This record gives sequence, structure tokens and C-alpha cells, in this order.
Amino acid sequence: MNFSGKSFVNKKKYAWLKILLIPTILFGLIFALNAFSFQIKNSFQVLSFPIQKTFSFAGKSSSNWIGSFLNATNLSKENYNLKNENQKLLAALSILQSIQEGNQALSAISETCQDKNFTTIMAGITGLNNEDILTINKGSEDGIKEGMPVIDQYNVLYGKIFKVYKNFSQVMLISNKNNVVNVQTQKIISKEIESNIDTDDKTSTENIEENAEKIIFEAEKNVNGIVKGAGGLSIFLDLVPVDDKINNGEILITSCIDQNFPKDILVGRIIEIQKNDQKPFQQAQISPFFNLKSVKNLFVITDYKKDI
Amino acid sequence: MIWFWSIIIFPLFYFFAILQTSFLIYFNLFGSIPNLIFVLFFISIFYTPKNNYYFIIFVGLLAGIFLDIISISQFGISIILLIIIGLLIKKIQFLLKDNDNGYSLFYFLVIFLGSLLIYNLVLQNLSINLINSLIELVYSSVFAIFGFFIVKKVLKNRKSNKIF
Repeated sequence: MNFSGKSFVNKKKYAWLKILLIPTILFGLIFALNAFSFQIKNSFQVLSFPIQKTFSFAGKSSSNWIGSFLNATNLSKENYNLKNENQKLLAALSILQSIQEGNQALSAISETCQDKNFTTIMAGITGLNNEDILTINKGSEDGIKEGMPVIDQYNVLYGKIFKVYKNFSQVMLISNKNNVVNVQTQKIISKEIESNIDTDDKTSTENIEENAEKIIFEAEKNVNGIVKGAGGLSIFLDLVPVDDKINNGEILITSCIDQNFPKDILVGRIIEIQKNDQKPFQQAQISPFFNLKSVKNLFVITDYKKDI
Repeated sequence: MIWFWSIIIFPLFYFFAILQTSFLIYFNLFGSIPNLIFVLFFISIFYTPKNNYYFIIFVGLLAGIFLDIISISQFGISIILLIIIGLLIKKIQFLLKDNDNGYSLFYFLVIFLGSLLIYNLVLQNLSINLINSLIELVYSSVFAIFGFFIVKKVLKNRKSNKIF
């Protein structure tokens, strides 16, 4: 009886010891993990990079293969649309080239904003998590710093460098809930394409001047707003005054107000406007231009002029 | 069995972390990716005997470390959250009737969806995107159901409804 009572006391003692010891060890471990967080995360990425690369390649290939099956019925329609779009773009290209040569006014507009020249570092994608954070295989050793903008070869904005490790970096996509980008609508090209395709006989200098005037006029009407991340790779346009006119299909580019990104980087296309006269601002759903399924490499802008 | 599982679970978590962040990103549904690490954590906890607190802490710790590695957050948030969820799962299971065939898929799914929702809510400070979260829950539960049937098949030849 005495023995069992003693063992009961011992058991109780050990139970208390366990209750105290387990959280202490746990918090000690968490503290140690945080102290070496930089090295742990960096080592994980360095060790996993070859496997991640293989998995990423396999994922992209199989996704494209499955996608081609699913889209087989839409191929002819897509082909027709692409041909049409190509014709429009070719027409627009010739107009823009001639405008560029003769138009002095256009350069006056660009003087107000920064030069587009910047230097970049190419990086490969190694991962993505549920918080819309991309991982790229370039880090502080390659000259990457926090806050640097990330684009692709088509000048499409992906986001900015969020955290830099020795051999890799985390990119906060523009669809991340904490991301905000100053944008403006780009009406110049789309409107000019439409108006000039119909009048294909006009290619004279007179027409060029006319076009230039239109461009200046349209550029002044560009609407400014803010693109916010909604999570799940989606974004929306906000803070556009209710009196400003925006249309579905309009392209959004970064504006020169934004000091975090160079201007004129493609962001997305307006797909649905949500206007309420009782609210001072209108919102719109945006189809982002960034596409993780098709992108091969990303480019980190390391240096660009920030002056407005 | 538990020793075998304790050894194999580390490479499994590592494999799932890489699979989740590099392969499945190309199969995202409206931007949502299934949380495979959580699925593995849940299945391991679901089939652990009730009083095996050390194993629950161990699995929560491992899963938390991997989830924190692939996220932008500090180490510790997922670890503590998963250990608490793991202990809660066992408490809830204790209240449910443990029949001869083990737990039903219905119980499994309800507890899984509830615990993943709690995890996402706490991790994102209650400001989740409802549609994306729902898609993630459904997407993850597809993998969880798959895991449930695999474990059930393994247990078919055993008398116990616990994996360990």
C-alpha cells in the first residue's frame, strides 16, 4: 500500500516534469530554428533545387499536355482570333513606327516620366506557395536585394523581391494580399489600333501628325488607380474615382507615381467593372498578364531610374 | 510500426513539400494548391492512438517546420498551431464512436475540413479569401480521401483500426 502510494507520488512528479519540460524544449527548439532561419531555409532551397527543377519541368510538361487535350475544341477558334489579332498588331506596329519617327510631342510626354532603361538579372522559378510567394534561384550572392521589381521577357510585372537569402529569394507576387501597385490605363495603343485599321489608306505625314495629337490627348485622359492582390493569383483594380471612365478590355500598366516599379510595365487587363454611384471609387476585376504556366525565366530589375 | 513511420515520415514530408511547391503549382485551381503537408500530418494524427502525445508533438513539429520553410512566416507559428490542432483532433475523435471498421469517411472528412479551415484562418489572421479557401479545402480533401482509402486498405488485414 505504501509502495503504491509512493509510486503514485512519483508518477505525479514525473507528469509535472513532463508538462514543464516538453513546452520548454519546444520553445527552445523554435527559438533555435528562428536563430538559424536564414541558413535553414537557404540550405533547404539549395539542396532541393535539382529536385524542384525536375518536378517543375515535369509539372509544366504534363500541365501543357493535359491543357492541350482540354483546349482541343477551342483550337480553331483560338487560331482565328490569333490571326485577327496578329493583323491588328501588324497594322498598329507600322503606325507606331511611323509615329515614333516623326512625332516630337510623344517624346515630350516621356520626358515627364523615367527612362525605361534598366538592368536585369535572369532567374528561374523554383516554387510557389499558397500565399502567392514565388521562390527564385537567385539570392544575395547574385546581387538581389529586397524590393527589386520582377518581370518576364514580355515586360509583364510579376511582383517584387520580398526576402533575400544567400542563394535564393522570395518574390511577393502582385496577387499577394499585401501587395499594392499604382497603375494607369493604357488607352493609346488599343484605341489607335481600332481607329487605324479601318482607315488603311491613310499613311501620309498628315495622318501621322493627326495620330500624334490623338495620342497626346488620350495620354492625358489615362486613368490612375491601384491594383491590389486578392490572393489565389488574382488581382483587382481599386481607388479609381467614380467619375473617371474605364472600359472592359483596357490594359493596365504601372504608372510613374509608383516608386516601387518602373513605369510602363504590363500588369493586366480589365475584365469586369464594379461601379456603384454611392461609393466614391469604382473597382474592377483584372485578368493578370503574369502566367506561371508559360513563363520560363523571370528577370529581376536591379537598377532603374526612379525620378519622375 | 510507429518507429518505422517516425523514420519514413521525414522524407515523406520533404517529398510532399517539394511536390506541393514545384509540381502542383502547374495544376492550381484558380490559384489554389492542395496542402499536401497538412494532408500527411492529418492522416498521421488521425490514425495515432489517443494517448500517444509524443508522436502527435513529433508529427506536428515536423509538419510545422516544413510548412514554415515554404512560407514567409517565422518558424513556430505552424509548429504550435499544428500541435494544438493535432491534440484537438484526438479529443474530437475520443468523442466519436470508434466502430469495428474504423472511422467513417464522413467523420474523417468533417474533421479534416474543420482542422484545415482553422489552420488557414489562424495563419492568415482570419482574413481569408473565401472562394480560394474553399477551393483549397476541396482540392486538399481529394488527396486526403485518397490517403484515407490507402490507409484503410493497409489496415484491412490488421485487427486494429490504428496504423501504429
